[in-house]
Amino acid sequence: MVKRIKDTLRIIGMSFEIELRQNLMDGFVLFGIVIQPLIVAFMALWMLKDKGPDYAIFIVVGSAMTGLWTTLLFNGGNSIRGERWAGTLEPLVGAPSSLRIVVFGKVLANVTQSLLSMIGCYTFISLIMGYPLTLSRPILFFISIILTVFSFASFGVIIASLFILIPDFQRLQNTLEFPVYILCGFLFPIALLPGWTTPISYILSPYWAARALHGSAQGTLEINQIFISWGLLIIFSAIYIVGSGALYRLVLKRARVDATLNTTG
Amino acid sequence: MNAIEISNLKRQFKTTIGVIKRQTKEVVAVDGISFDIRAGELFGLLGPNGAGKTTTIKMLTTLLIPSSGTATIMGLDVVKDAEKIRPRIGFIFGGERGLYWRLSGLDNLRYFATLYYVDTNVAKKKIPELIQLVGLKGREKEKVEGYSRGMRQRLHIARALLHDPEVLFLDEPTMGLDPVGAREMRMTIRNLQSAKKTILLTTHYMFEADELCERIAVINKGKIVALNTPVKIKHIVQDLSIVEIEIFGIPPEFLEKVKNLEFVDSVAVETRDQRQILLVHTPKGPSAISDLVEALNGLRLGKIVTREPTLEDAYVRLVGGQM
Amino acid sequence: MKKRSVTNIRIFFEGAILSYRALFRWLRPATYIASKILAPLTMMIFFVFIGTYASGSNDASFYVIGNALIFAASSGIFGVTMSIGGERWSGTLPYLFGSPANRMAIFTGRAFMHILDGMLGVFIGLGWGVLLFGLDLSQTHLIPLLLTILVTTYSTAGLGLLMGCVGLITRNVMLVNNTVYFMMLLFSGANIRLESLPKWMQVVSKYIPLTRGIASTRLIIAGAGINEIFPLLMEEFLIGFVFSLLGFFLFSTFEKRAKKIGTLEIF
Repeated sequence: MVKRIKDTLRIIGMSFEIELRQNLMDGFVLFGIVIQPLIVAFMALWMLKDKGPDYAIFIVVGSAMTGLWTTLLFNGGNSIRGERWAGTLEPLVGAPSSLRIVVFGKVLANVTQSLLSMIGCYTFISLIMGYPLTLSRPILFFISIILTVFSFASFGVIIASLFILIPDFQRLQNTLEFPVYILCGFLFPIALLPGWTTPISYILSPYWAARALHGSAQGTLEINQIFISWGLLIIFSAIYIVGSGALYRLVLKRARVDATLNTTG
Repeated sequence: MNAIEISNLKRQFKTTIGVIKRQTKEVVAVDGISFDIRAGELFGLLGPNGAGKTTTIKMLTTLLIPSSGTATIMGLDVVKDAEKIRPRIGFIFGGERGLYWRLSGLDNLRYFATLYYVDTNVAKKKIPELIQLVGLKGREKEKVEGYSRGMRQRLHIARALLHDPEVLFLDEPTMGLDPVGAREMRMTIRNLQSAKKTILLTTHYMFEADELCERIAVINKGKIVALNTPVKIKHIVQDLSIVEIEIFGIPPEFLEKVKNLEFVDSVAVETRDQRQILLVHTPKGPSAISDLVEALNGLRLGKIVTREPTLEDAYVRLVGGQM
Repeated sequence: MKKRSVTNIRIFFEGAILSYRALFRWLRPATYIASKILAPLTMMIFFVFIGTYASGSNDASFYVIGNALIFAASSGIFGVTMSIGGERWSGTLPYLFGSPANRMAIFTGRAFMHILDGMLGVFIGLGWGVLLFGLDLSQTHLIPLLLTILVTTYSTAGLGLLMGCVGLITRNVMLVNNTVYFMMLLFSGANIRLESLPKWMQVVSKYIPLTRGIASTRLIIAGAGINEIFPLLMEEFLIGFVFSLLGFFLFSTFEKRAKKIGTLEIF
């Protein structure tokens, strides 16, 4: 049992490292991780200027979240498909290690790199704008970040498999980008949206992540409310992890029947 | 004791034609093959392109699920026990794909060592050994995108050996290699066999199968047309001589005429360099020449030679037709 | 002379049809709807909400108009850029270089479809604006609006042409594309009032396509007539023209250079 855990961690670590290495060579990945969030941050900053300097930290966190989601959707979601294009999916599947653990490591690397954008936005805005950027509850904030990263990575494992399972899922990629920004309250509160969208927001884990992060950064949430957000993040992560087991078994069985491990068939 | 047992294995593929009005066609790639491979045997699967060799290997390496039939490796079923089989086999499909281009050869090996649960300390020793074995020493830190075709092939082999598998599947291991590289590869394969590994090798090079394999299965259009030692397969054509006639394009009606001659066993047309050679298998030997020339009256003919059959000719007889 | 013009016209149309096929070949209705109608809408909703949240006002028209015209930029930048930059991807560039066909005819032909596609995008955007955000088109004169949209899509296509040539010498076309696209979002006044931008940014805004197009459209929808916006349109057209000229120039430079040193692989 201990050996299994050790092996799993080793695989996650190695997959994480390999993904990191490959990303550093890819300019487009850099765009999603760094450039786009910075531009979004700048725009949001200018658009929300009238709200006052206290909003600066809101903008940093919100823009970084847009970067996290975009990275997850485009880079993380591409985890399995990209391997297939490169012809490395067959060797991966043929190896004894579990594919979903490998994918988890990859997505974790992408999401972690995306945190760079948060740091970038933070530095950029505080230096250039001269705004005060204080975290109201730093410890709660950092725990929220860890839970967010973990939850996003687990979600990414599911998304990566959906791209393989559903042939036309790729078509939805662009369409799924902004709705999450909107429904999860990254850069404006969901109270502005029509009431019927609220239940949808509640079943999206990025909403709870944004809630916890904004709440702890700005100090606008009570501690027990933050705990509720954490709880939901953990529950969602558990659902994703457990669900991915059955999902990957299905995806891989299908791929081996349809002969789509090497081509799209 | 059999390492691999295959029983009536079949695999079909659906292909679609057309973009707007899609029609699906069923193509049978492997059509009910059966054979067994003993532990420690070096077995060859020989056949022309598209015969079903790669599909068979993919089914045995758990990458494809058979449409029907069964296969077991070391007693484990390739479908039900796939996860138990994977740690114990190694495979290479070779070629350009299957490696991480942006990483170095060394990193590729480190990565797969982890995926194959190779103990870290073992890997530390094994990887440099393998790099040395396949002749990549000194170049392992370069990115794979800069490797030549031969180097990539060799890296594939190193990767397949990381976890010291009991059974190896080598799909066209010398394809794309220059003669020297190919020779080295064959030597490596022979060494692996003396290390008591079971090896299933596919190739469309007859001389390679002849040279390396203890037994050969000839596969054509998804079916096994011969299964024996190379020597015994050559016996198929033992009674025949081969008349080689150099021709400059042969119209189909002439080909038919030659085929239908009663002393002609089979006919093949081979392209060697820029020339076309008509290969006629006949027990009559040189005395058939005058009849053949008469049958080809009207066509321009070049050199005519009679010779003894080789494994290649046995192969041609088995798979027939164009080479 | 006449034969040359006939050939050029033929090349123009072939380019247009090629673009059309390339654009729609892999598109099925579902994809078209998703990427042309839904995805831009989601972006519009996002910025409209931020904008109205920020200003506390209920008037979304500023943001609707800005984003609707951004959709034109999308066709110009991604569509046109890829149809040229894509040459390198598909390895057909050497064939293009080797042909005696008039370059201008080829590229204009290709851009043509994307200009039409861009115009369609703007209309869809404005349509959403009316449906969802109460955009009031009652004061709008149709002809000036059509003209403005045409000129704006033309000028963004001009930028696309230039970007396409840049795309020929870099491996990271998509990186360049997306950065330029987001830059347009930032500098064109689509979502941020130009007056509130820092001075140096306002200077940049003046020299890029789209800025005047957006400004004109806002004026027209507020009821302005052709006289008021004509100077802006002329400038917009001129910018597009200059960018396309730069694009052609760059292309011939690359072509000459490639023929001299045997490769276009610069980075």
